[in-house]
Amino acid sequence: MVSKKVTLINSQGFHMRPASVFATAMGKYACNVTINFNGNNYNAKSLLNIIAACIKCGSEIELICDGPDENAALAEGVQMIESGLGEK
Amino acid sequence: MKTMTAAQAVIVYQNNLKEVITLLKGIGASDGIGIGRVMIIAEQSLDYTPKQITDIDAELERYRNAVDKFCDNTMEQADNIRKSTGEKEAEILLGHIAIIRDPFMGGEIENLIKAQQCAEASVEQICKMFIDMFSATGDDLTMQRAADVRDIRDGLLSILLGVQEVKISDAPAGTVLVAKELTPSMTAGINKENIVGIITETGSQTSHSAILARALEIPAVLSVPNAVSQLSSGEQVIVDGKSGDVITAPSEEQIAEYANKREAFIRERRELENLRGQATVSASGEEYELFCNIGTPKDATKAVEADGEGVGLFRTEFLFMDRNQLPTEDEQFEAYKQASLILDGKPLIIRTLDIGGDKDIPYLGLAKEENPFMGFRAVRYCLKNRDLFKSQLKAILRASAFGDIRIMFPLITAVEELRAGKELVEEAKNDLRASDIAFNENIQVGVMTETAASGVIADLLAEEADFFSIGTNDLTGYTMAADRGNSDVAYLYSPFQPSVLRMIRRIIRCGREKGISVGMCGEAAANPMMIPLLISFGLTEFSVSAPSVLKVRKNIAKWTKAEADAVADKVMAMTTEAEITAYLETIV
Repeated sequence: MVSKKVTLINSQGFHMRPASVFATAMGKYACNVTINFNGNNYNAKSLLNIIAACIKCGSEIELICDGPDENAALAEGVQMIESGLGEK
Repeated sequence: MKTMTAAQAVIVYQNNLKEVITLLKGIGASDGIGIGRVMIIAEQSLDYTPKQITDIDAELERYRNAVDKFCDNTMEQADNIRKSTGEKEAEILLGHIAIIRDPFMGGEIENLIKAQQCAEASVEQICKMFIDMFSATGDDLTMQRAADVRDIRDGLLSILLGVQEVKISDAPAGTVLVAKELTPSMTAGINKENIVGIITETGSQTSHSAILARALEIPAVLSVPNAVSQLSSGEQVIVDGKSGDVITAPSEEQIAEYANKREAFIRERRELENLRGQATVSASGEEYELFCNIGTPKDATKAVEADGEGVGLFRTEFLFMDRNQLPTEDEQFEAYKQASLILDGKPLIIRTLDIGGDKDIPYLGLAKEENPFMGFRAVRYCLKNRDLFKSQLKAILRASAFGDIRIMFPLITAVEELRAGKELVEEAKNDLRASDIAFNENIQVGVMTETAASGVIADLLAEEADFFSIGTNDLTGYTMAADRGNSDVAYLYSPFQPSVLRMIRRIIRCGREKGISVGMCGEAAANPMMIPLLISFGLTEFSVSAPSVLKVRKNIAKWTKAEADAVADKVMAMTTEAEITAYLETIV
């Protein structure tokens, strides 16, 4: 299992579009991808789960990947969030 | 005191009743007047009897076919709406496909079907779970997702049950649509030519319905309680999308009155649209800068869409609010850079952190003050918290490599504060140079002149500032020593007070004498009564809210410098606010 803490910088937070883009990207990996936010875990492959987490701009989340391709998944996930999820 | 007879009481009651039924109140969500006949979009019955199924494979196929059909329909609707309204609106609908294709949604529904529950009940149960989950967050944006899931549920159920959907696209000319909720799929069918108004029972200024109605330029009144049951198809109504009024059974006079209003509105909209892309010029040819006030990087898009020529005030508090810790320098840099890139070379004046007063940020642990507006706020706080201030200045400087960014200090009251701020800017520059990070060496540093002190020493400040921007809201409050929120003294709070006008004139003159630009970023800059005075005093830049841009451009174009001077001469010879506003009302 690997994990990293990242801060959301896109102004809208994790909403429809960013969540959709992110869930689709994470869906490609075989490992489990989880977002830990405010002590709760959310399945990062489900945009509905991500939306329900209500993660706002400036919030810190922990991205946790567990499975065969966990390193690649974590690297891409962190990179996406740090670059603003295509919303810049 | 006379008592009413029973007959009189009945008449009064009937009159009251009549008034109640002829005027429905809602939220004006899309400006304009619509006069037309009601078409109720009644909710279709999506009732069914849940049953246990035996052939699981057949039911799964029925469900999957319904999903495919739903996605096809949605794609088609998205195409239509893309053509009629725009890409952004189409994306809302495409989001429905993303949701229904979400492994969680689809997977859970299929699990229920595999447990022998019919497709209808399975769809309903899982959708309900998400609707409840989203509704419970209390977050505006997330709660809107609940509306999306409801829309998906209804769409899927209609397909599964074979219910025919109402064809809004067939509505005749002059139709006022009335529905409980305007769903994105409904809006997709709207023919702009035929729909003259929209009334719904739910929604707010920021809901999808409102955004779509505005994009379609259809007058809309939302959140009218019981609109569907109170109105009936075919009856005539007037929709006032500004006031939020819906007038039922209108009289001939009312129809004539509102038809005039509609004409005037359309004429004004057209006139304003003609000014889009034009320079901001007075009737005698002087050019002005016309900027917008914004609060987030995303607002920069609104400024550009509104035809703002730049941003005269970027409030940076949003970066610090609604969170538990300070934003990092990188985070701020990204936000400023984003706004700058959106503005694509247009000027961007960033006001450094203006907290305190009425704006509290809990994690900064500011002490409660007896008199916060006279206390530890804005640049005073920043100069005492140098790390916080320097990290903001460094972020702004770094972003200045990506556009025409300028720095503005709020609440300056003494030259030392400006000097201390500028010294810190130089320190920040040195840090960046040492790390080989690019920034604009000649970045302008200006003063938000919003205190009585800054007005009085405007001549001294003008020697050391690169520009002034007059914040009329605070300038009025501090000059008059009156809180506009206090109804006992609010009558004093007016930018047309002779004292405030003298302050404004002094700031502009002192700035112009030293050859620096002087802007105004308060509400007064958009006031048609203030504009001739500002032209006469020599203001160079107006910064207003995005929706006011074209109106201000139109108002500036009305005046020649000589005419504005004549007005200003008269006004500055007057002795009371009442006299001044009474006169200015006659000239606009």
